[in-house]
Amino acid sequence: MSEKEEAVFRSADMSLVQIYVPTEVSRDIIYKIGQLDIIQFRDLNSKVNEFQRSFVKEIRKLDNVERQFILFKKELNLKDIEIKQYPFEIESIPQQKVIDELIENSQLLENRVVQLRDSVESLYETQRNLKQFKYTIQAVDNFFQFDQKALIGEDSILESDGSRDLRSASSFISGVINRDKVFVLQQILWRTLRGNLYYHSEDVVDEVWDEKKQEFVAKNSFIIFSHGILIHERIRKICDSLDADLYDVDVSFESRKEQLSDVNMKLSDLSTVLSESENALSSELIAISKDLAKWWEIITREKAVYKTMNKCDYDGSRKTLIGEGWTPTDSINDLTTTIKGYDQSQSIPTIINVLDTNRTPPTYTRTNKFTVAFQSICDAYGVPKYKEINPGLPTIVTFPFMFAIMFGDMGHGFIVTLAALALVLNEKKLNNMKKDEIFDMAFTGRYVLLLMGVFSMYTGFLYNDIFSRSMTVFTSGWKWPENFKIGETIYAEQIGTYIFGLDPAWHGTENALLFSNSYKMKLSILMGYSHMTYSLFFSLFNYIYFKSPIDIIGNFIPGLLFMQGIFGYLSLCIVYKWTVNWFATGRQPPGLLNMLINMFLSPGNIAEPLYDGQSSIQVFLVIVALICVPWLLLVKPLYLKRQIDREAKHHAYSQLNGDADLIDEVPANTNEEEEEEGDHEEHNFGDIMIHQVIHTIEFCLNCVSHTASYLRLWALSLAHAQLSTVLWSMTIGNAFGPTGFVGSIMVVFLFAMWFTLSICILVVMEGTSAMLHSLRLHWVESMSKYFEGGGVLYEPFTFKGLLDNVF
Amino acid sequence: MSGYIVVAVFIVVISLSCLAWVFAPKENTTVFRSSVILALAMCYLMWAITYLAQLHPLEAPRRSDLRPEKTE
Repeated sequence: MSEKEEAVFRSADMSLVQIYVPTEVSRDIIYKIGQLDIIQFRDLNSKVNEFQRSFVKEIRKLDNVERQFILFKKELNLKDIEIKQYPFEIESIPQQKVIDELIENSQLLENRVVQLRDSVESLYETQRNLKQFKYTIQAVDNFFQFDQKALIGEDSILESDGSRDLRSASSFISGVINRDKVFVLQQILWRTLRGNLYYHSEDVVDEVWDEKKQEFVAKNSFIIFSHGILIHERIRKICDSLDADLYDVDVSFESRKEQLSDVNMKLSDLSTVLSESENALSSELIAISKDLAKWWEIITREKAVYKTMNKCDYDGSRKTLIGEGWTPTDSINDLTTTIKGYDQSQSIPTIINVLDTNRTPPTYTRTNKFTVAFQSICDAYGVPKYKEINPGLPTIVTFPFMFAIMFGDMGHGFIVTLAALALVLNEKKLNNMKKDEIFDMAFTGRYVLLLMGVFSMYTGFLYNDIFSRSMTVFTSGWKWPENFKIGETIYAEQIGTYIFGLDPAWHGTENALLFSNSYKMKLSILMGYSHMTYSLFFSLFNYIYFKSPIDIIGNFIPGLLFMQGIFGYLSLCIVYKWTVNWFATGRQPPGLLNMLINMFLSPGNIAEPLYDGQSSIQVFLVIVALICVPWLLLVKPLYLKRQIDREAKHHAYSQLNGDADLIDEVPANTNEEEEEEGDHEEHNFGDIMIHQVIHTIEFCLNCVSHTASYLRLWALSLAHAQLSTVLWSMTIGNAFGPTGFVGSIMVVFLFAMWFTLSICILVVMEGTSAMLHSLRLHWVESMSKYFEGGGVLYEPFTFKGLLDNVF
Repeated sequence: MSGYIVVAVFIVVISLSCLAWVFAPKENTTVFRSSVILALAMCYLMWAITYLAQLHPLEAPRRSDLRPEKTE
């Protein structure tokens, strides 16, 4: 393997290669390319219907096999048999013979499975019928026995002959019906026969399996007595319409007994047959489950190969397959060596050409397990243009850090770090595991989480917050007076500056919030300003790379001056104000916000001076900013207009001079244009102007609104700190008062409560919200400064992850 | 109580960044350089801002719940 360019700052160099493959080996060569995972094939037949392509027949065959596999999978799922997925590697190219065998084999298996399944189903149906028959007989039996007892009890005087005659004469209808339809049946019968019937129904103890609904259904058996054949017919029809199953049960006790024993025998026979068929089906399916994953992999790979071949130009008479595709320039060597290595035995060699093209290649950013999650954060917003600076690179640090500014707490950061470390250290084990969606997301972003945790610990240390408590690591810069009465309001005296982070002396003071608000607000303005300036400079490097000096002069420089003149100046003033000892100079410290507003509202007027010569500098800056607006608005469009005019003039001259040349060129051009779909953009002055007006308004307004938007850093970190303080004081803070038994119980209980709520609310909920805000700062505030996007993601032809949706 | 420590640390961070640039590993050079230097820069900025904000504070800590034996 040769040395590869890193391709993370800008996407990799891509080349368009053309491959001529002899028909006999085309499948094998394409398969090899699929294993290499380095070419994104272009569809050369985009105008050809999907059904009219060269290898539709093969694909249809493979589709059929896949359908059979899906059927097997369904059956396996029904039987709860797990599909074995031991790791297997298909190194060599499976021979055509193997594929054919597989196709044949799966056809056989399908037939067999379907047959077995059908026979099992029909056996179940018979069993159900027999069972219902049995229930009906039993119900009829029960009914007559009860009846007989009643007769013996009440009308023992009646001759037994007479009563038997009565019964046999009034023959009855019996059957089984769903329990929820019993009432309906009864009502319908009552109405249609005008009450001219006797109806008896009783519950069937066992539930009966319903094949249609795929569930057990409660049923009732019923007996209906009535007169006349016509009425009987009608009853039967009504029963049929209600999906009742009717069974003929004999009237006499003896033959009923016979019937019953007959049914019982049939049932026991049936259950043996049934269990045998079930076993046969199960063993067949178990055998399938062992190999199904492997077969499926082979077949989908095969299908992917033919789908790719369908994208290539194929002519049966020419005996060659011509494919075109994008490949990283530094991988062309791999491609040629692999194909040459395979090709040696062949009489006709495979030819690889590198084509010159003016098409835009796809954007290919090489990632590793560390960078991939950061890259996907940026790709979710937009794919960078080919060779544009990849926003995924700075995001690696800025995203977790912006998060950490909002999430600054050593304790919470530590928890996040631990969770991320657990994912990172067990990544090999977890990678092979099945994960649900949310866990999978956390696992993919494990390195993002890790950095988020580590930076949160750093910012937490600076904020001097550990679960909202403070630490005194270095000597404090404040000294409390020594003599005071209890309850007296005292002020600390400054004796130095706390060297690293926020002074612990501020913790718990009455005006802690006043100080930390001013500090965090300025912090977010400064960090936001640095982030935006950093991002803006990427646009400079993009313009330099793409060699467009007009964008530097017309876009970058006025933009930079505008931003620096206003917000750069504000940032500078913030820092400068900090460095001045206002008590020593005895001057009134100016409010910077008012200063910035007044700079525009009344230029040259300074209420509270910050430094000497302030008014002239501010007037100068305002003038620069005001010049920048028309500069940004007009320079680029006017330059482009001049260029368009010059081109048009040149075109007109060449038309006059070289008519002969043009005739030759024209056909070539039209061909080119036919292939070039929508690559050519319409340039006219109106469009350019409108575009630039939008850009100018957007840029100038965004300078203001984006700076303000970074104040979310302040708001969220303030909310986080306050919330954790409140949580501490409301739960575990209360536990330290009482002593003894009550005290110890309280500590345990309140600690549990505090810890759970800390994790749920402060780490998970607040963390998610801080993450979303950080995401927004990147997508909107940072990327709008340089990111153009509109690239096409590079998706090489590969066998990886073909079956991700199946298993 | 000197603001020059901010400048001193700045120089240290710059030299650390240079070291990170030079001694970047052969593989993933760009990712290493960019991430380490950017992380150093952001950590420095954050520290420097925090330090400078406390250099000449306009506000002194104030409280009325302190008892004499608790002062440190």
